[in-house]
Amino acid sequence: MDNFKVTLRKNLVLYLTLGVLVSLLIAAAQGMESKDFVITFLRGLAVGSLTFLVASGFSLIFGLMHVLNLAHGTLYMIGAYIAWTVFVRPDTFVDLLTPLALLLSGFTLQGVWAFVAARIRLSGAMGRILPWGGMALSLVILFMTLARYPIAVWDVEVFAQSPGTYAFMADQGTRLVPEAAVFEGLSPALAVIGLLAGSLLAAFSMVWLAHPPTAPQQLTWRHFAPFAVLSLVGILALIFNEPLTAWLVGLNTNWLFLVSVVVAVLAGMGLGGLMEVTLIRPLYVRHIYQIMLTLGMSVIGVEIVRAVWGRPEFIMPKPALFTGSGPGCPATTLAAWWQLNCATILVLGGRVRVYNEIFIPLVGLVVLVAVWLLLKRSRLGMIIRAGVQDSEMVEALGINVRQVFTLVFALGVGLAALGGALAAPSLGLSYHMGESVMLNALVALAIGGLTSYPGAALGSVIVGLIQQFMIKYGQIGIAIPFTEIVFKPTPPIVPASTIFLMVIILLLLPNGLLGKKE
Amino acid sequence: MTKSFFRQHQASLLTLLALVLFPFLVGLFEGASPAVVWANGSGTSKFMQGLAIEVFILAMFALSYDLIFGITGLLSFGHSMFFAVGAYASGIAIKSFGLNLGQTFLLVLAAAFIQAVLVGIVLPRVKGITFALVTLGMASVLHLIVMSTELGPYTGADVGLQGVIIPDFINPAVERLRLYFVAMTVFILFYLLYKRFVDSPTGRVCVAIRENEDRAKMLGYNVFTFKFAALLLSSITAALAGFLHTIYQPIVSPNTASLAFTVTALLIVLIGGVGTLSGAFLGAIVFRALDFGLRRYIGESASFINGAVYVLFVLFIPYGIIGTWRLKSLELKKGWEDLLKRFQRSMG
Amino acid sequence: MDTILDVQSVHTFIGQYHILQGVSLSIPRGSITALLGRNGAGKTTTLKTILGLLPPRQGKIVFEGREINGMRSFDIAARGIGFVPEHRAIFRDLSVEENLKIAERKKGDYARKQDFIFGLFPDLKRLIALPGANLSGGQQQMLAIARALVADNSLLLIDEPSEGLAPVIIENVMAAIRELSKNATIVLVEQNFLVASQLAEYYVIIEEGRSVRHGLMAELVQDQATIHRYLGAA
Repeated sequence: MDNFKVTLRKNLVLYLTLGVLVSLLIAAAQGMESKDFVITFLRGLAVGSLTFLVASGFSLIFGLMHVLNLAHGTLYMIGAYIAWTVFVRPDTFVDLLTPLALLLSGFTLQGVWAFVAARIRLSGAMGRILPWGGMALSLVILFMTLARYPIAVWDVEVFAQSPGTYAFMADQGTRLVPEAAVFEGLSPALAVIGLLAGSLLAAFSMVWLAHPPTAPQQLTWRHFAPFAVLSLVGILALIFNEPLTAWLVGLNTNWLFLVSVVVAVLAGMGLGGLMEVTLIRPLYVRHIYQIMLTLGMSVIGVEIVRAVWGRPEFIMPKPALFTGSGPGCPATTLAAWWQLNCATILVLGGRVRVYNEIFIPLVGLVVLVAVWLLLKRSRLGMIIRAGVQDSEMVEALGINVRQVFTLVFALGVGLAALGGALAAPSLGLSYHMGESVMLNALVALAIGGLTSYPGAALGSVIVGLIQQFMIKYGQIGIAIPFTEIVFKPTPPIVPASTIFLMVIILLLLPNGLLGKKE
Repeated sequence: MTKSFFRQHQASLLTLLALVLFPFLVGLFEGASPAVVWANGSGTSKFMQGLAIEVFILAMFALSYDLIFGITGLLSFGHSMFFAVGAYASGIAIKSFGLNLGQTFLLVLAAAFIQAVLVGIVLPRVKGITFALVTLGMASVLHLIVMSTELGPYTGADVGLQGVIIPDFINPAVERLRLYFVAMTVFILFYLLYKRFVDSPTGRVCVAIRENEDRAKMLGYNVFTFKFAALLLSSITAALAGFLHTIYQPIVSPNTASLAFTVTALLIVLIGGVGTLSGAFLGAIVFRALDFGLRRYIGESASFINGAVYVLFVLFIPYGIIGTWRLKSLELKKGWEDLLKRFQRSMG
Repeated sequence: MDTILDVQSVHTFIGQYHILQGVSLSIPRGSITALLGRNGAGKTTTLKTILGLLPPRQGKIVFEGREINGMRSFDIAARGIGFVPEHRAIFRDLSVEENLKIAERKKGDYARKQDFIFGLFPDLKRLIALPGANLSGGQQQMLAIARALVADNSLLLIDEPSEGLAPVIIENVMAAIRELSKNATIVLVEQNFLVASQLAEYYVIIEEGRSVRHGLMAELVQDQATIHRYLGAA
């Protein structure tokens, strides 16, 4: 009993705040019909889930590495665009597989290159000129090969071939399949050789220039395995380009959707890992610069998206599982929905869109539990939790913390990419989608606690709910008690309300609702 | 005595001279005589004066950011608020309430004081990243307020505040050269003030706070007072830069309250050199020239290059132009000294 | 004499501060050596330098016949060095069991060493499910030492084991350290001279970043002048 009192007194502000928030929710429920409430509530959870996918990765990265990755929203956006590309234009995706795999393959031989570089003895001048020469040569080779490498793409400038048109047609069920790009002035064999040679040379020159202090003593098959796999994937993707494309195009949209989400997540993880190794790692001693760097990266990311996919907004079609219509829809029970795959379902009288308002929160919940299990039950999670407190001590135990950093960065970005891929069919794609989700995630984390995993979830849900209820009340108006006035919050007040809440909560609890006291 | 003064301030005096002569020199390049430039004749000189005024405004804004970020070590993501409050307050005061410039000036000062107090209330409660987030939140709220349609008649909502009538004697369309000199003088005054501030005991404590807040506290300094002093000075500077912005620009865009504008300040400070003060001016020149040139010749993808420049600076020139130059000259000096010492030793 | 660790005039910087300005140690296998010296002399920095947490700018460190300076910390530690840091640095969010498990270098290390560790520190077994944050100072110290025992370490670096502990608990910790020295070499940083002199066979005195004196602890105890000069009143 005393224990209870102590906890109560310690966390009085927290409980009071939570109490206020819950009573706000109850008050919000009183003001509208139950069907409106259900829809708004589920929408809030959906926005909260997407926010959570960004916020959780961001918070893991911040907690462990103290890197404020402000490019996280941009990576979420890139995840969305990658998913869209795989889903709507599988041919482009298959065409890209070969050059990407081959380009990366050389860089997986890091250990081998270090081994070789450590055994080259050259005079000072040659030792400096040769690597730069190798780098330049590799760039020339790569440029010449890539310039002629055929990749089927859309054309941002031409309306009939713009991403928006492809998206719209795919949504209508008629998938436009443009002509496959063919090799001209470059034989496939030469292309493979060029890409491989360029990649190997570039990677070797880089390692040679950097002179890594630790080189492996002897080479084993492990040093070559990733290279073999990647180059094999690249070459196979080239040989089986057509059947692979045809297979993906003909694939059931449900499976294609799954493939696109998986590809987006994997690409996000790869991108995150690459970013950590190349850009973030050199700056661990200067955190302010990391913040600036990620800010700059987010600008670049937005510009890349704008250049490649264009300015106009478009949407990714939903898989067949969520687009059914006709007699029997909206479904009234889950079983009925399962049979008809209705786009909507009736919940307490409200017509709820299955994908937007049920599927997304469900995925959010699954991820919440999965990451929680990873953190609590696995050895990696144990290392992460320990590293959040004292990564130096973890290293002193003989654990390669840097590797864990890369892994967690990849994981965090992968989560953001998953969020983007999920958002693409519901919120659509636009070059500023990253910015708004980033702001939401920052607010959510400030509310929940910057490095607290449950805090990220709680904060995200609070942000999502408040926003959606504000939007709903913007339509129906809030009757202010004891007066005749009906107050309608307008769009700018929607984000402002969550930010306002954030400032209040930070003033009351500087570490957020569930953040640790420093 | 006089000689040593000149020698001591050689670089500053040369810069000053260059700035004063700048409009006329640009005019001469085009064949326009100083008299034409003096009479505000249209031409390249007038255009370049405009760019220079923008540089002064940006430099003042960046300077104010350098004071709280580079000198005092407070990471704020809401600095654009300081600028936007000055810009909007002055514009609304002139346009909607018909105040004259003197009254507006006082109003801007008052607004700057009030917002510094507002941030000051938050200051002791939150630190580091949380402070960055709170300031970001405050700036976002301001951004949303100026964007909201309810206040449209005053702020112009998402279009921006326009139709502010500036008296002829300082109107950029009529008396641009005068505005150029006004902006220059204001900037130089603030720059000198900042130099004094940084060299003063107060400024040194601010640097000590940046280096190690706990130690400054242990030495018995009331950390909050010093942070607040820096904040207040910064707020006034940025608000006055905003005031100048309203005078010069036909439209005050809501973008001046956005995070992107804070990032602009950060970028300028980074290019010039964090914590160097003079870097703010150099950075503003480089930034404006880069932005202008890129938009003109490359167009759309200008921000991409801007972002890339930003990343490259962080990775390879983290101390900025001025900072790196100082380091190099220090090394050079040290190198010479070493050489001299070795020489003396070998002789002796 | 078989030397397990040989530190040859290392120089270490923290930021721009030149902390270690030439520290040399030669640690005989199976011994307990105490690093002595005043506050801020560089004792803790020496331990961190050995472990690569603060990489030395100059000098050489040889462990088990292999040069380890320049290697990454995890690599150095994995060669068989256990670290018990100042202020214990146990993981507060991890349970006692997790605190031990995280130190595994091979799967099954913890299961194998369990009996030995709990034999040494019976208290820990009782607390196994508690989060590290809930332990008392003495329990945290025991956990920190136990953590260094999970993997097979031939060298243990122990920083200030008696700091802030009650005399009874210091006795326990000292007994444990004596027990450990049967299987491992121990380098100890200790402010409390009484504790150090009872535990260690050898001593090294560090003064202003330099190792100035070393020898047998038994001789140092007799030498009041040296004790007074370098360590203040004993």
